[in-house]
Amino acid sequence: MGSDDIRASYLATGSGDSPADRERLDLIRGVLAEGAAWEEPPEGVVDGLLATIAGEGHPPTVEPAAQPRRRPWLLAAGAVAAIALLVIGVSSVLDDPIAETVVAMSGTDLAPAAAGIASLRPTPSGWYIRLDVSGLPAAPEGSYYEGWLWSDDHEGVSIGTFHFPAGADPVVLWSGVDVAEYPAIWVTLEDEGEGPEASDRIMMKGRVEDLVVG
Amino acid sequence: MDPEVLQRFRIGDESAVKAVYDRFGGPVFALSMSILGEAGLAADATQQTFIKAWRAASTYDPERSFSPWIYAIARRTAIDIYRKRARIVVSDQVDVVSMAPGLETVWEVFEVRSALDQLPDEERQVVKLSHFDGFTHREIANLLGIPVGTVKSRSHRAHQRLLGLLKHLEEM
Repeated sequence: MGSDDIRASYLATGSGDSPADRERLDLIRGVLAEGAAWEEPPEGVVDGLLATIAGEGHPPTVEPAAQPRRRPWLLAAGAVAAIALLVIGVSSVLDDPIAETVVAMSGTDLAPAAAGIASLRPTPSGWYIRLDVSGLPAAPEGSYYEGWLWSDDHEGVSIGTFHFPAGADPVVLWSGVDVAEYPAIWVTLEDEGEGPEASDRIMMKGRVEDLVVG
Repeated sequence: MDPEVLQRFRIGDESAVKAVYDRFGGPVFALSMSILGEAGLAADATQQTFIKAWRAASTYDPERSFSPWIYAIARRTAIDIYRKRARIVVSDQVDVVSMAPGLETVWEVFEVRSALDQLPDEERQVVKLSHFDGFTHREIANLLGIPVGTVKSRSHRAHQRLLGLLKHLEEM
């Protein structure tokens, strides 16, 4: 019996010859035994989805509220604003989980397995930005990740720093600058004690092409 | 997923949304059920996921796999709903950080369901009767009115096919 047959047999029965990836196959077997793997979404889901889309006609594109043009000194100001806004807290935002912009985030060559989304929402206090990514390894000891918004004029504003241990919650960042003017979203890897400038180790990128505020 | 469908989805084509839903509605619902545990909440999460995806379609990079993108939106949406609900339940302890159960395996749930949806119906049926319902091959044969040998061969083909479809999980 070939290794593929052994594995298929083990996946089917959970017994017999023990393949090298038994642990992974046991995980799959566990999922196959769960009701969640088999239940069908109610018919109403697709009906409601198509009705909503038909009602909107096309993905809505809404210009954000006008804000004054920001300058490079906001590199520091943005970081201060991010800290201040974190102190204020996040409990008052996201009352409507749909009303936000979702941006695809892709891993670069430094983190090819990383993928996910950034969800952005304007609030009276600034932009709430939430990163929900998978495949990004934990920041190595002595380093950390840093979120950035970049303008097309190559002005960058830090929106906060974080680690990313396995199983971590989504990361919440804040921006005091308008994402319409700083549409590029980066995640860089930074070494502790290396100063406030962005390193050239860009791990993930995304870009706000159209502000879609539902 | 057909790249042409994804391209139409990316520019907001409504008919492409239905095609994308037909392919990923099951995995998104399975993921949502895994996190939320209630069909009604999972249905809400599934619908919100596809509405968000449609609204954000222009940000999807067609050079990248679609699956992790829709997965990330679905996972985030289900967790949001879970937390909102948890916040209501423990409204006097709003600062309690609550984590949805089963998050460790939610990617596997999404991928396994995605693989199951790609099996031929007759193979999928045998896998379900075996793993979920707990029937033996003989019981499945009696239930379906087919020879045991047919059940065994369908089961073997199905599990080999599943291994192939889930090969990328080895790299996670």
